[in-house]
Amino acid sequence: MRIDEVWDLLVGTFYTTGIWAMSWKYPVMWAIAFFFLYLAIVKKFEPLLLLPIGFGIFLVNFPLVPLMGYTEEGVPHLIQFFYHYGLEWEIIPCVIFLGLGAMTDFGPLIANPKTLLIGAGAQLGVFVTFTGTVLAGFTLKEAASVGIIGGADGPTTIYLTQHLAPQLLGPNALAAYSYMAMVPLIQPPIMRLLTTREERLIRMKQLRPVSKRERILFPLIGAGIIAILVPAVMPLMGMFMLGNLMRESGVVSRLSDTAQNALMNIVTIFLGVSVGATMHAEKFLSWKPLLIFGLGLVDFAVCTAGGILTVKVMNLFLKEKINPLIGSAGVSAVPMSARVSQMMGQRYDKKNYLLMHAMGPNLAGVIGTAAAAGMFIAMFS
Amino acid sequence: MKRGLLILVIWALGGTQCWSEDFLGVPLLPGGEVTISTTDKVQVRYALSHEQVLEFYKSHFKASRDIKFRDWKAETYIEDQGALPWHSVRISKGQETVTVTITRDSWTWILGTLTLRFIGVFVVLLFLYVGMSVSGAIMSRLLAKAD
Repeated sequence: MRIDEVWDLLVGTFYTTGIWAMSWKYPVMWAIAFFFLYLAIVKKFEPLLLLPIGFGIFLVNFPLVPLMGYTEEGVPHLIQFFYHYGLEWEIIPCVIFLGLGAMTDFGPLIANPKTLLIGAGAQLGVFVTFTGTVLAGFTLKEAASVGIIGGADGPTTIYLTQHLAPQLLGPNALAAYSYMAMVPLIQPPIMRLLTTREERLIRMKQLRPVSKRERILFPLIGAGIIAILVPAVMPLMGMFMLGNLMRESGVVSRLSDTAQNALMNIVTIFLGVSVGATMHAEKFLSWKPLLIFGLGLVDFAVCTAGGILTVKVMNLFLKEKINPLIGSAGVSAVPMSARVSQMMGQRYDKKNYLLMHAMGPNLAGVIGTAAAAGMFIAMFS
Repeated sequence: MKRGLLILVIWALGGTQCWSEDFLGVPLLPGGEVTISTTDKVQVRYALSHEQVLEFYKSHFKASRDIKFRDWKAETYIEDQGALPWHSVRISKGQETVTVTITRDSWTWILGTLTLRFIGVFVVLLFLYVGMSVSGAIMSRLLAKAD
């Protein structure tokens, strides 16, 4: 073998590696991936999602890796396959809602249904942010997908973004889950700012017990009303209510258990890694993701304020006052924001137990965010 | 004086004629009569069929991703869902002449639709509230009777 042939062989081998195609953008994306892995592993912020998302970002940000594209024959690469069937077909968010429904106890909401209105008020930020996002130069569809981040509902954010602006899936999902994890940091200052000491000390009457029949009836009534008023969101809410009916009926405990655990865990892996894998350096490194993170924070703050202000307005008409600290739980980060209400309440009165009261608006927030998403889908369809 | 008047008449008449121009980037078919022309809205009447005008706009917006065609009873409503300076192109139906109305993007529309949808979320949850309250009351009475 001649020396030039050996050289050609070496060069040929070199071109099969990713070294020659490296650019400065990849290390930047690794840093972003490590940041989210750090949040998940060290800080334990939403680890179930941020860990696979972080690793997904890391994996796809190497040159030539066959993960998020197609072969020359048109066969999808591994993660592209998950992404196509799971997210492009909008299956995973709906399956996650099935699991969430099976995990959710609607008792506090059924016992005190007026807290549903708090869940609606807490969607204020979704609509306010929409306006800000349009002003920032996003399209209307993109603005809707960014606005929904404030609802603090990961699957709904993913579902709507995939529907309206799939190019923003990565940053939107990442912003939603990051801020959901940071609810204990974001909400307390807003809660202090918008409430007086007297309001924080309001004690609420213990919730009435809810019968099994009411619990079984709730998913049927809920699904029926939502199907009539916001049919666009039924893929999500239908699955949610089915999961809840499986739980409350008590006759399909095996199915309920699978939806809550095994199925939920499986789809969470595929969801996380697929979302992370959409964040390739070429698409992610632009001004839009930065703006999305900024707008998402404002969104969360306005949604929190919207929930608290709704309680204040309701208190003007109610004999039995509601503690406005549970208003912040109208964002649907379940059960994190309800816990924040409990924590804040106990800071001012050790014997004030707000957790179960806050679960009402918290669950209403899930339905409210889904309704808002449905409104947006209907707006563009 | 006469010459001046003549020029004014020609200019005025010429102003109502429409050539192959555009409004906010939306092309206008040649040969129409401009009936309204403001900074926010242009309305042009054509002696063409609805299908001919629609075909023109369909071929123009073929490559645009964020343009939505809505086929309504009285008109075809073309809506920009992206970030273009115009909001809608409306092509009337069912008349001898076709009227094309192009409207500028307006904050009134955006804020109006957002307010409406925010109220819509309240309405959805209000209905659910009423449904739950009614069913809760019925269940309580039934259980009380059974006891």
